[in-house]
Amino acid sequence: MILEAKNVEYAYKSQKDRKVLKNISVRFEEKKFYTIIGASGAGKTTLLSLLAGLDSPTGGTVLYEGEDILTKGLNYHRKHHVSLVFQEYNLIDYLTAEENVKLGGAEKPEELLSKVNILQETWKRNVMKLSGGQQQRVAIARALASNAKVLLADEPTGNLDEQTAVGIIELLKRTAHELGKCVIVVTHSKYLANEADEIVRITNGMIDS
Amino acid sequence: MNGFSLAWRSVIRKPVKSVLLFVTVFTISLLLLSGMSSGKATIQMQDRTRQAIGAGLVLEENEADRHRRIDELSERLDHKEGSLGGYHQEKITIDGVESWRTWTDNSFETLLVEDIEIIAGTEGIADYNITTVTTAARPVDFIRIEDEDVDQYSDLGGVSLIGNKDMSMDSEFLSGNAFITEGRMIQEGEKDVCVISSELADKNQLETGCKIRFGNCRDKEDSMTYEAEVVGVYQVNRPIAPYMFGDTYRSENIIFTDLDFPEKVDGKAGDPLYEKAYFKIADVNDYETVKKSVMGADIAWERYDLIDNNGNMDTLSANFNEMEQYSRVFVCVISGAGLVILFLIFQFWMKSRNREIGIMLSMGTSKIQILAQIMTEALMTAAVAVWISFLAAPGVTGLTADYLAEQQIQSVEEQNLLDEGKVAFSYEKSEQDVVGVQAKITSGILIQDAAGIALLITISVCISGIAILKRNPGNILQDL
Repeated sequence: MILEAKNVEYAYKSQKDRKVLKNISVRFEEKKFYTIIGASGAGKTTLLSLLAGLDSPTGGTVLYEGEDILTKGLNYHRKHHVSLVFQEYNLIDYLTAEENVKLGGAEKPEELLSKVNILQETWKRNVMKLSGGQQQRVAIARALASNAKVLLADEPTGNLDEQTAVGIIELLKRTAHELGKCVIVVTHSKYLANEADEIVRITNGMIDS
Repeated sequence: MNGFSLAWRSVIRKPVKSVLLFVTVFTISLLLLSGMSSGKATIQMQDRTRQAIGAGLVLEENEADRHRRIDELSERLDHKEGSLGGYHQEKITIDGVESWRTWTDNSFETLLVEDIEIIAGTEGIADYNITTVTTAARPVDFIRIEDEDVDQYSDLGGVSLIGNKDMSMDSEFLSGNAFITEGRMIQEGEKDVCVISSELADKNQLETGCKIRFGNCRDKEDSMTYEAEVVGVYQVNRPIAPYMFGDTYRSENIIFTDLDFPEKVDGKAGDPLYEKAYFKIADVNDYETVKKSVMGADIAWERYDLIDNNGNMDTLSANFNEMEQYSRVFVCVISGAGLVILFLIFQFWMKSRNREIGIMLSMGTSKIQILAQIMTEALMTAAVAVWISFLAAPGVTGLTADYLAEQQIQSVEEQNLLDEGKVAFSYEKSEQDVVGVQAKITSGILIQDAAGIALLITISVCISGIAILKRNPGNILQDL
């Protein structure tokens, strides 16, 4: 078990009475591909944010390899334990594909870019000049560039056409099974959900058992 | 990829924000340089009433600085009785009404001997003279010249003593207006000697070798008298301009003495009042070079006027009406406005880079590192802007200094028109024209400007960064 949410609760500061997540406990293991599914507003992205250390829970703890992520700090957790992929790709807009991957910590970005099927002629192109699918691949390459054992993705295929989405899903699956990482993906896509090794279903801030 | 690599890529590849900051910093820097250099500018003036004679330079006290020093010392005494730096103030009561009496002594008014000696030590200065202020003295065993038709009630009833270190360099003798008719001039180092006018000699049947006595003119009860030997008799082509109104100061009653004699007679031995110093330039062909060297002497120049043989003198902006104060206000206003504008620019930077900041935070980059990167970008852009402003400064600072000086002249002229016939001045205003303004950009000004810009940027980045420091990455990413 690499990552665990233990009795996690979350409420926005402005609406303290309304809990977005209610006593959630869930465990994630390496080499597995997880999907978190649920209706809009169920709390999927909030759970992912807490697992990523982008915010801290209002109750309960998030553990990485059995240790509370607050012990070493959220910054440390984000830097060393997890890497993130977003629906909006979130690449640095003034850098090239290669430089974005370098920013993730890769010494040889070309290897990672090849691995995610980015053609060599686009490596030195500004990321804003790439297609949506290419940008998402660069974002995955950047996430893979770090030595983090957990890859968290929020709707990674949300802005992509079906064919490109299939390619990205394959890539994420390979990341889990071949690179041995724990891949956790928040999605609305039934196809993507069905490709997962395990599905975590959230309804009204609670996990469906 | 480190913060510096990211910073320069951002500066070059996102040119709109960089150009916006560049133009702003360039403008602020240029205006700051203009303000600072105007505050230290030299105003070249021509005095139609005062000129050095021959190949020489004259050093006199600057009247504006004198008044400023009085104001400063008065402020430091803080409405209490006391003395400071030769300035005195005491409370007096007249008819039950309290008021203040203020006065200055010789130590406040005199030219400083150490400064005179520093100038005299400048290469190219052959010799120098010091002249005392015209000092009234009571004739003890001789009679002065008087106008029989004038009521002498308000006159001191004395004669005037003018002491010189080297009488041959006194302005009256240098100009040829006065000349020796009998005996000789007083030589440097002589004590208790004098040269009298031919009129005074005739009236008292005095000749060289005679001794005459003087007493304190203001303190009639002081029985102490001082004797001086007449070593020469002089005549003038035209009467010497009187120092003040009355027969005490009339041309015929002026007696030239050795340097220390007037202060002794005035009861202030050891506390002289030197009014001017004359510096003789060795080679007339080197006049301008020597003048420049003299102006470079390390003395408190704001205290003095250095007048050349055309009546030209360089006045520091500190002594030129309120130019220094105007410049200081100008610099403060630019700094304040600059801070606000830079703050708004960095707010714009932060807002337009919300996504980038969120991405960096999600990758575990600390908030401090992100602020440091933004600071690096700002300082890189600012460094180029400041450097270019340094190159552009000489042209612009001259214009600013000219403009400020012109404003000063105009406001003084307007004030003079308003004051005409209403305000009496305690000193006689000399007739001076501004013939030029020289605003130099010194290395000190450049350093101050660069440091000021760096400080403004640091403050505005830090204030703008508070918004980032307060938010967590989750909130920032949610806003995208």
